[in-house]
Amino acid sequence: MGPLIPLEIITGHWDFVIALLIGGAFGYILEASGFSSSRMIAGVFYGYNFVVLRVFFTAMIVAMVGYLYFSYMGWIDMSLVFVLPTYLNSMLFGGFLMGLGFVIGGFCPGTSYTAAAIGKIDGVVFAGGVLLGIFIFSELFPFYEDFYVANNLGNVTIGEMIGVSNEVVAFAFVVIAIVAFYVTSIIEKKVRKNMTEYKFE
Amino acid sequence: MHVHELNPKKTLIAMLIFAVVIIAGLLTINNPRLKYQISPAQAISMVSDNNQGVDASKIDNLLSASTNPTILIDIRNHYKFARGHIASANNISGVELLSEENIKWLNELNNDKIAVIIYGDDPLQTNGPWMVLQQLGFENIKFLKGGYNHYVQVKNAEKDHKPIPTFIAGKAKYNYAEVAKISSVSDTDTGQSDKKHSIIRHKKKGTVTAGGC
Amino acid sequence: MNKKYLFLALLMLLLATGLLILPERHNFQQMKAENLMWEVVQPTRYVTVDQVAMMIIDGDPTLELVDVRPINDFATFSLKNAINIPFDSLLNPNYQGYLGIEDMNVVFYSNDDIRADQSWVIARRMGYHNLYVMKGGLNSWIECIIKPLKPDETASLNEFEDYEFRKGASIYFTGAKLESSDKKSSVNVVRRKKGSAVAGGC
Repeated sequence: MGPLIPLEIITGHWDFVIALLIGGAFGYILEASGFSSSRMIAGVFYGYNFVVLRVFFTAMIVAMVGYLYFSYMGWIDMSLVFVLPTYLNSMLFGGFLMGLGFVIGGFCPGTSYTAAAIGKIDGVVFAGGVLLGIFIFSELFPFYEDFYVANNLGNVTIGEMIGVSNEVVAFAFVVIAIVAFYVTSIIEKKVRKNMTEYKFE
Repeated sequence: MHVHELNPKKTLIAMLIFAVVIIAGLLTINNPRLKYQISPAQAISMVSDNNQGVDASKIDNLLSASTNPTILIDIRNHYKFARGHIASANNISGVELLSEENIKWLNELNNDKIAVIIYGDDPLQTNGPWMVLQQLGFENIKFLKGGYNHYVQVKNAEKDHKPIPTFIAGKAKYNYAEVAKISSVSDTDTGQSDKKHSIIRHKKKGTVTAGGC
Repeated sequence: MNKKYLFLALLMLLLATGLLILPERHNFQQMKAENLMWEVVQPTRYVTVDQVAMMIIDGDPTLELVDVRPINDFATFSLKNAINIPFDSLLNPNYQGYLGIEDMNVVFYSNDDIRADQSWVIARRMGYHNLYVMKGGLNSWIECIIKPLKPDETASLNEFEDYEFRKGASIYFTGAKLESSDKKSSVNVVRRKKGSAVAGGC
């Protein structure tokens, strides 16, 4: 939690309190962005609503840029940040599966809880399904362990993989994000013009 | 479509706060007054080099040299300095050496390539301040081998025309593996066994918490 | 197109460009030289061989002895449970994990105390906490703990108390050494497992 912990203003024992606060804020932002509506989320796949892409891309580039600035100013310790290991095969497959669940269910795991929190039945069912899926996955893990750990690239970042600094990667992502925002807004307009079954206020 | 999509007021405010935080951070960034001139790795190789110390017997010659006489700094406290010190030494403690004026002075000396020798009571007292100064880039600063105590021994030996003691540091005085087997006190009870399973902890890098939406 | 979006995009681009043109900056996580000098002149970082012996005998779980001598010297003799970090590989990333463990007190030792003290200065500059130096090093260890000398008759009571402790410690360590030379006690090194993360995702 920069800048407070590296500058020794508070101790690391506050981790869980901070995690709770961030979690609460995250849930609030999801709900405030309208992510508890599955229509909004599935819209990405049909081309009439790209708010999911916009919110997450914005969050990503702001986090990336902010993180690099904070680390530059010594507020965050870069070496303590955990980089997830990249299992290429299982990540590709998992991404595909996730997208499938996204378009069928109309939620992603996090938003299903915000939907459940405001009392949507489909959200509750989805959240239950997530827990059931986790349980089944863990129980059957030995069967596909080989596939799961195949093609391990280790704890790499994009910058390390292609050999450029993190700053360049962040800049590239900002450019990509802005282009994506523009392109999707055009797609959105076109699709919405031809849509009759769903009215936009 | 949400209302804020047409009028991103909140996003705008949030974004401006973000920018202000970053700019404020950049403006208040604390640049240290004293910068380390050499990296820790260089510092390790520098202290491994044994030529940084000056022998006590050579001090007098260096001090009386007609051109660019060496400057001597006594980093011990005033009381000890008053009780006895090497002639012509300046009494400046390690912390005082980093004051604005002294740093300026040391910089001038460094630019003029005038050698500076610091000493404390013993090698241990001298080592720390010397290392800090080295890492700040004062290459002209050396230390007196063995410190003041050793210097006094050398001087006394010279006076009495005895062989001059040499100062050896960092050497093992014993063959530990042999010596440590036998106790010098009477060994009556050797029944102590020690088969404890010892666990050495290792710091975990980065807490493993990953999240997503 | 809303003008405000245009402004947002430009602001973000500007911030990202700022990242690219920032001047290089190192050292910020290192300790300030003034603070380092301040700590360097304090004798609080020294622990005596008696204290170390006491901690070993008590099995103090927070004690982490670090031997900064070369590997060969470490192989022939080392203190109980000591870890070897040769001085020239102090900055080796493989060894860095042994420093800065929460609640652990790292005690550096070498033949005498200079090398250990140098390790202390470098490690402290790198920002590690809870570092100590065993005063006198192994030379003192032999002189005080393994081969303690009986104090003079006129010595103070404290010295006699020290001597009593050292006598016991001497037996403890020489006895334990004989024992462990034929039966090597196994040392479990707990290291971070790479990639055992609980991976989550959106």
